[in-house]
Amino acid sequence: MAITSVYLWCYGIKEPFLRNYDTLQYQTKLLPARQKTIKAMQSEQYNTNSKKVIFFLFALLFTAGLSVNAQNIRVAAAANLQPVMEVLQKNFKQKTGISIDAVIGSSGKLVAQISNGAPFDVFLSADMSFPETLFKNGFAKEKPVVYVSGSLIICSTQNIGFENWERLLLSARVKKIAVANPAIAPYGKAAEQSLQDKGILDDAKPKIVYGESISQVNTYITTGVADVGFTTQSLVKELGNKTTLYYKVIDPKTYEPIQQGIVILKHGADNPSADKFYRYILSPAAKSIFKAYGYRVQ
Amino acid sequence: MDLSPIWLTLKLAGITTLLLLLIGLPFAWWLSRGRSFIKLIIEAIITMPLVLPPSVLGFYLLLAFSPQHGLGKWLHDTFDVQLVFSFPGLILASVIYSMPFMVGPVKSALQQIPASFAEASYTLGKTEWQTFRYVLLPNIKPSLLTATVLTFAHTLGEFGVVLMIGGNIPGVTRVASIAVYDLVEKMDYASANNYSLILFSITFILVMTVFIFNKYQAKGPLA
Repeated sequence: MAITSVYLWCYGIKEPFLRNYDTLQYQTKLLPARQKTIKAMQSEQYNTNSKKVIFFLFALLFTAGLSVNAQNIRVAAAANLQPVMEVLQKNFKQKTGISIDAVIGSSGKLVAQISNGAPFDVFLSADMSFPETLFKNGFAKEKPVVYVSGSLIICSTQNIGFENWERLLLSARVKKIAVANPAIAPYGKAAEQSLQDKGILDDAKPKIVYGESISQVNTYITTGVADVGFTTQSLVKELGNKTTLYYKVIDPKTYEPIQQGIVILKHGADNPSADKFYRYILSPAAKSIFKAYGYRVQ
Repeated sequence: MDLSPIWLTLKLAGITTLLLLLIGLPFAWWLSRGRSFIKLIIEAIITMPLVLPPSVLGFYLLLAFSPQHGLGKWLHDTFDVQLVFSFPGLILASVIYSMPFMVGPVKSALQQIPASFAEASYTLGKTEWQTFRYVLLPNIKPSLLTATVLTFAHTLGEFGVVLMIGGNIPGVTRVASIAVYDLVEKMDYASANNYSLILFSITFILVMTVFIFNKYQAKGPLA
């Protein structure tokens, strides 16, 4: 915005789209011959003005590409991080002054976008295999490292008692079970593993509805359109004071550990801000935030 | 290749089109006769899905169908139906979403028929229904075909609403457009291409049909 006003000031553009009422009134009292000259003058002024406007727009377009603050970085973050991301962004900005544009989506979707040249600097995944794939295919600077381990919960807006959740899911009390798409969302994969482990996956299948990411599963849970859903503990923390949620942490032995990996991507390889953010995520400051949101940290 | 998403899409489009013929024709007829403030408002509401983002419609349907309060709760408690994540729910959404494609062309065609046609029919002792059936409808055949085909084609292309309230359930709400989205996210471009080609061909044939039929009317495919 500041840039825009500077431009306007530099080119001395008068508002070309407003009629100049003074001249108009003045005109009506003049002879036809004089009127012509004034008209000509007006249109000339309009012309130079519109030329200036066009030039200004071009200049703006041209610099729009460049004026992205070189400091800022774009972070692709797995959907389970949505609740914690805002806190991390604020904290990081306080420490370094660097702003983060976060793009939230399922890990698989983000990997597809990055593989197709999406300009992200850092990728925070919900597992290790997606960022490893990126590294193998030459989209990441180095091998991924684990920044947190996530825990899977079963969650509902109704107090239906999760003591024996596997029996509950098969009862008539539960009509819809929200699970994130297992192919692209690691938490969805973990949920299916857990159902498989309890031996109820096939029986529960007809009740399962798939969210395209944990975010959509959270929507289904909080709006109550699904009776229960498998999600991440950070959701409960985020909504702690807004919505009452009933949940139970799923026994970690029933699914493969959710090790979440971080990589700096090729696009951010030469960006010192990306490196700063990478080190911040692995720092004690970020770790204590993650911990508060129910993640396990080393 | 699993053809169920394609069948599901065709089933959804077919049922939606049939329902809209039943609902939309009387609506268009009623709207075409005279103007009043109420009609104006109703017409505006019917036309809105043309410009309303599907996500907005999907969001409100999600709230309306939630079994925890209001309409959704009543449906859930009295009839034990849940419209979210179900095929009937998709049909309801599609009917709302494709309504303007049925009502718009039919209404404007009915308005273009000279009033003397219907009046002549009335003087000959025909009822309103007979007049509608034997005088008005035959006169708007091209527009009726256009409306029907466009409604069908538009429902084939439905995506945003289904993404919001469908839940991507194979064989229930996983229509072809959602299947394509899903496969692209998984980076399975070959399968995505299979579905896309089928949809592309069907849509092309449909639009061409309208075009060819309307050729004699000296109109473009959308008029």
